Amino acid sequence: MEEINNSLSVVSDRLRNSEVFFNVPDENLLAIAEFCHEEVYQDGQIIFVEGEPASDLLVVKRGKLAIEKKIQLGRHSTPRNATIAYVNPNQVAGFSAIAKPHLHSGTITALEPTRVCAIDGVKLREYLDSHPDVGYIVIRAITSLVRGRYQAATNTLTYFLSIVSHELRTPLAAVENYLRTMLGGFAGDLNQKQERMLNRCVIRVTDLSGLISDVVDLARMRPEQIQADFEWFDPGEVGRESIEDTRLAAAEKNVKIRIKPPDKFEPIVGSRRRMRQVFTNLLNNAIKFSPPDTSVDFSAWYEEDQLIFEVEDRGPGIPPEDLQYIFTDFFRASNVGDSPGAGLGLSIAKKIMDAHNGNIIGINLTDDGGKIIGSRFSVHIPRNLNTPEMRRNEWASKESNQD
Amino acid sequence: MLEQPSILIVDDDPDILDGILMILESRNYRLRTARDGVQCLEQLAEEVPDLLILDLLMPRMDGWGVIRKVRNDSRYAKMPIMILTTVIEDASRRRYELETGHTMDIQAYTEKPAKPVELLGQVEKLLQWKK
Repeated sequence: MEEINNSLSVVSDRLRNSEVFFNVPDENLLAIAEFCHEEVYQDGQIIFVEGEPASDLLVVKRGKLAIEKKIQLGRHSTPRNATIAYVNPNQVAGFSAIAKPHLHSGTITALEPTRVCAIDGVKLREYLDSHPDVGYIVIRAITSLVRGRYQAATNTLTYFLSIVSHELRTPLAAVENYLRTMLGGFAGDLNQKQERMLNRCVIRVTDLSGLISDVVDLARMRPEQIQADFEWFDPGEVGRESIEDTRLAAAEKNVKIRIKPPDKFEPIVGSRRRMRQVFTNLLNNAIKFSPPDTSVDFSAWYEEDQLIFEVEDRGPGIPPEDLQYIFTDFFRASNVGDSPGAGLGLSIAKKIMDAHNGNIIGINLTDDGGKIIGSRFSVHIPRNLNTPEMRRNEWASKESNQD
Repeated sequence: MLEQPSILIVDDDPDILDGILMILESRNYRLRTARDGVQCLEQLAEEVPDLLILDLLMPRMDGWGVIRKVRNDSRYAKMPIMILTTVIEDASRRRYELETGHTMDIQAYTEKPAKPVELLGQVEKLLQWKK
C-alpha cells in the first residue's frame, strides 16, 4: 500500500510540473494520478494519427514529440505533413482526449526515445465533470494551449504556401526571363518564325505563372485575412489603377473602356488591394471575351447603403445553364473556347466580396428578341464597413459603457 | 554621364543572373554579381555600387537580411536598392516589418520576371536617385 502511495505521489509530482496541471491542488493530482500509466515510444514511432479517436492525454516526461498536420493544396494534390509544434518535457499532447469530438486534430510522432505519462481521457473527463473547480483550471490551461497550436498551424500553412509558390514560380521566372531577353533582341537577331514562336512561349508561360499565383492566392484567401487589411481608400483611384492594369490587353484588341464615374468619389472602407483585384479580374474577363473593336463599359454609382461598380461587355455572354456555376473554383463556361485562364478569377472575386459582406452578380444582356448581346457584372460594396481600428474602438466603448 | 555606373546584381539562380546580365550589358554599365547575401556584403565592402539589384529568397543570408545590414550602415546610405524577386510585394514588406519593426527602405520593387525594357528604364531612373 505504502509503495502504491509512493508511486502515486511520484506521478502527481510529474503532473504538477506540467503546463496543464500546475495549478491543480495536490489532493486532486493524487486522484488523477490513479488513472495514469507510463508509456515509452521509440524514435520515429507514430503515436496518434490525425482524425483517429483520442483516448489519452500525454504528459511528456523525457524526450520529444512532433505534432504534424496534413496539408493538401487543392482537392487533388498529394497531402503533405507539416510540423506545427514540438512537445518537450512537461508539455502536453493529445488534448483532444478531453475536448470534443475526441478525435486527434494532428498526427503525433516521437522524434527521440520518449517516455510519457498517459492519462485515461474518459476517466479524466469524468473526474473533471465531478470536480468543476479542477475542471475550470485544466480547461483554462488547455484553451491557451489550443490557441497556441491554432496560431502555429496558421503560420505553418502560410509559410508552406509561400514556399510552394516560390518553388513553382522560380523556374518559370527564369524561363520567361530568357524568352523576353531573346525577344528584346538582347541575344542577337531573330527571324520572324522564331519571334512568333517565342511570343507564343511567353503567352503560355505567363498563363501558367498566373495560374500558380491564383491557386496560391485562393488558398490564402480567408475572410479574416482580407478583413485585417480593411482601410479607408478612394474607390475612384482603385478603379483607375485597374484600368491601367488592363490597358495593354484592351489595346491589343482595340477594345475601348468607357468610364462612367459618379460626380464625386467618396472614400470607403475595404481592402484596397483586394478590391483592385476584383475590378481588374472583371475588366480582364470583359476584355478577354469582347469581340475586337468593341467597347467595355465601366461605371460606378453610390446608393444609400452601398457603392456599386459595373462592368459590361459586348461578348458572347454566359450560357444560361452555366450561370449558376460561374463563381465556382476552377469552373470555366462551356463557350470559352481557346481563351486562356484557369477559371479562378471570378471565384477569387466572389471570395473577396464575401469578406466585404458585399455581393457580386453576373447576368447576360439580351436584345428585344431575347438574343444574348453581352454580359454585365456588378459589384456591391457596403458603405458601413469598419477598419480593424474602428472595430477595436467600438469594442472598447461598449466595454466602458458596461462598466 | 561621364562615369560608367556600377551595378551589383545578387541572385542565387544562375539562369536569372545570366538573363539580367545580357539585358544590362546592352548599356554602358560596370556589372558585378553575387550569388547570396554573404557574397553580396563582401562585394559591397570592396566597393559601393551605384545600384544594388537584390533577390530576396537566397541561401546563407536572404535579401531581407541584406537590407537590414545595409540600411544600418552609413557607408551605403546613398546606394539605391532595387528588389527583383518572385515574392509578392506586400507579403515581403509585411515580413520585413514583422522582423524589424521598420518599413523596408528600398527604392524599387519588381516582381520577376521583369520585362527587359521596363527593367532598363527602372535601372536608369534609380541611377539618378540620390538620398
